Amino acid sequence: MSSQAELDNSELDRVIRSEYEAGFTTLVESDTLPPGLSEDVIRAISAKKGEPEWLLEWRLEAYRNWQTMQEPNWAHVEYPPVDLNAISYYSAPKSMEDRPQSLDEVDPELLETYKKLGIPLHEQEMLAGVAVDAVFDSVSVATTFKSKLAEAGVIFCSISEAVHEHPELVKKYLGSVVPKGDNYFAGLNSAVFTDGSFVYIPKGVRCPMELSTYFRINEANTGQFERTLIVADEGSYVSYLEGCTAPQRDENQLHAAVVELVALPGAEIKYSTVQNWYPGDEDGKGGIYNFVTKRGVAHDNAKISWTQVETGSAITWKYPSVVLRGDNSVGEFYSVALTRHAQQADTGTKMIHLGRNTKSTIVSKGISAGKSSNAYRGLVRMGPRAENARNFTQCDSLLLGDTCGAHTFPYIETKHPSATVEHEATTSKVSDDQLFLCRQRGIDPEKAISMIVNGFCKEVFKELPMEFAVEAGKLLEVSLEGAVG
Amino acid sequence: MSRDTALNLPEDLKTRALENARQATPVEALAPLRRDALTALEGAAFPGRKTEAWKYTSLFPLTDGHLARRAEGEAPADLPMLGEYRLVLVNGRLDEDHTALPEGVTLGRQARRLEGLTTPFAFYNGAALEDAVTLDVAANTDVSAPIQVLHVSAGDSPSHCNTRLEVNLAAGSRLTLIEQYLGDGPVLTNAVTAIQAADNAHLTHYRLQADAGDSLHIGTLLFQQTGVSRIDSYQLMAGNRLRRNDVRAFLDKSGAELNMHGIFVARERSHIDNQLCVEHRVPECTSNQVYRGLAGEKGRAVLNGRIHIHPGAKGTLAELSNKNLLLNPGAEIDTKPELEIYNDDVKCAHGATVGQLDALQQFYLQSRGIPLAEAKRMLSLGFVNELIMSLPDQAVADWAQPWLAAELGQRPGADEEAA
Repeated sequence: MSSQAELDNSELDRVIRSEYEAGFTTLVESDTLPPGLSEDVIRAISAKKGEPEWLLEWRLEAYRNWQTMQEPNWAHVEYPPVDLNAISYYSAPKSMEDRPQSLDEVDPELLETYKKLGIPLHEQEMLAGVAVDAVFDSVSVATTFKSKLAEAGVIFCSISEAVHEHPELVKKYLGSVVPKGDNYFAGLNSAVFTDGSFVYIPKGVRCPMELSTYFRINEANTGQFERTLIVADEGSYVSYLEGCTAPQRDENQLHAAVVELVALPGAEIKYSTVQNWYPGDEDGKGGIYNFVTKRGVAHDNAKISWTQVETGSAITWKYPSVVLRGDNSVGEFYSVALTRHAQQADTGTKMIHLGRNTKSTIVSKGISAGKSSNAYRGLVRMGPRAENARNFTQCDSLLLGDTCGAHTFPYIETKHPSATVEHEATTSKVSDDQLFLCRQRGIDPEKAISMIVNGFCKEVFKELPMEFAVEAGKLLEVSLEGAVG
Repeated sequence: MSRDTALNLPEDLKTRALENARQATPVEALAPLRRDALTALEGAAFPGRKTEAWKYTSLFPLTDGHLARRAEGEAPADLPMLGEYRLVLVNGRLDEDHTALPEGVTLGRQARRLEGLTTPFAFYNGAALEDAVTLDVAANTDVSAPIQVLHVSAGDSPSHCNTRLEVNLAAGSRLTLIEQYLGDGPVLTNAVTAIQAADNAHLTHYRLQADAGDSLHIGTLLFQQTGVSRIDSYQLMAGNRLRRNDVRAFLDKSGAELNMHGIFVARERSHIDNQLCVEHRVPECTSNQVYRGLAGEKGRAVLNGRIHIHPGAKGTLAELSNKNLLLNPGAEIDTKPELEIYNDDVKCAHGATVGQLDALQQFYLQSRGIPLAEAKRMLSLGFVNELIMSLPDQAVADWAQPWLAAELGQRPGADEEAA
């Protein structure tokens, strides 16, 4: 290896070892259930949240069904078994017992937390024009811009609030996309979910602003079980942003969220995620386990678009999917997944084409560094009715270093002769030529790598809303500047 | 068959396989291999509905009891001749009368213990083996005439046979091997073929699977490139009641090169499942795979192509391309090109497509007076012709063209669109 490469490698090492910027803990008194999982715990969660009988029954049914299920082991990840009885299933900041009506009433320490993350609610309210439903642990703390949204008829609130105020909508759509027995982690979520967001866009309404939720996992030993439900009624449009960071911890924290999207005829939902949860230290100790089920159903002429930038979590197990039920519906998936240290990601998408003339596009960019493992796992299924259905898939992997892994597992199942499926995958490293060209022009290696990686991800970044594109770019830079394969 | 029979199938198959293996006629030369394989079989589980590697292939046809008895039958008198030298195995047993081998190739009746066999069927093959054929090609020998190995299955009731062929190419040797599977009747052929290539060896390998539609085949093909060698493999496969091909290749010495080309066709309720796995275990090896699949009527064609690049295998070049055509509604194609890479200094790519014949091209041919059915056949042939044209051996190409033309021809009852 040349001395130049050695220099670059030491640079790479320095960056890879850099500490997690958002690693801090906020001290807020919590009203936490003791660890353990049983029917009583579920009853307690339900009672604490004052839920109606039907929801408690729904949870119990999910729990009983879940007990018969087995943890899946097909993903290309390895981790010690999670002791679900060591997790506390409910934790709410104490000050929540009297729900704050405005930001002024919010615990200043919470606000401080957001400030450290660079997302002060006040400023966001004014500058970005984004309504924020911030989830701190399991209960929504502050919801802004409500009145403006109410004007448009948009419902944007926590799911517990929606259970009380819009029971008919929740009852109709909860579990309609991800049934309570869908998979092991979704089943667990259905039984014990504590909070999350609920969005309803009425017929023909274009949501006046981008909706956003910031998640934080705070209380140690508290699994996070959010449940998000977004319903876009006929002809409506909504763009939803989800972003996450988490404080540094030494024990693994389980996160098993469920996100359900319903795009009724002619509706469009754009769901963007920037995920930067604590990935653990160099050996993966202490990171978040992110086992998420995300799925949307697109009815006639509807469109669902998933965009994700994944840089965090010790283990990611996530397949945002679209069921293209209606004719002419469209599904999209754009993803950048970056792993370093001992991170493991098994992520991808499923596009289930049921209707005629359905179209889907998948663009997945995986970047692995250090000792990490990064797998794309996707399914494209053309059903027997999917006349003229069309899919295009591209997954590219970039490897930085010779100890990481990049894998591709694309399942393609076609049952209609007029359906067309294309899949392409490539694997490469940052080429010496590209690096040389940049350095020759006086660009330092750190910047050069960052440029090349950004170029590699460009197709995905351009799909992100402005607010997120900036954050995503910064995240990648922090993680990978100076990386040379 | 009742539902219960199908649910208990994996256990039933295992019990039956173990029983058969323990009762099989002892053969001195094969005893150590059989002992090992039996141990492996005891620890193995037969695939059920939830086994990932068997996701698209059901063993339900085996509920007819193929494992209950061994195939007994005679080979037809007029066996095809694709080369000067031929070796015939009938239901896994060598037919010495029909065997002729060129100079430099030694025939043996033993089998090695093979690393890299993973399926319970391959274990069963070893555990119940009653005959085996090994061909040793002497060092620095150029066997100019191709050797044809005919695996014939014959029987008129549900039964099975185990067939095993091993070919070892010593340093500097060169061989053309034509493996052909023939069969008629409801016989399951449980096959294992293992090929080992030492330094500077060059093998041209053909695998022709054109057994009758009611036959069944579960087999493993193993390539072990222990030397700087080159293997070119051409696989022409038609679906039948159940066809499952596991191909595993180990590139174990820097500089080894593997090229695999395949055409698989599943028409009229037939089934074919190809599981390919190429293991790059050392630096600087090259593999290239090109497969074309067609499915029509109620046929189902499956391909799973895995490229596994081990840590340290720097400078690897690996490619896989799989293009598929779906001819009518009701047929199904499932493809999964996999990459598993533990190294940054590699160039890997795979591509897979599933589509249909171009409507414009069909129209063009029709406008020139060619009936739709014929136009479709021509276009389908064009889709795979590239591979047929590249067949280096003329005798095989001459065999393949009519075979393929028949495979791709219009089927009675297929979609008769208005011309």
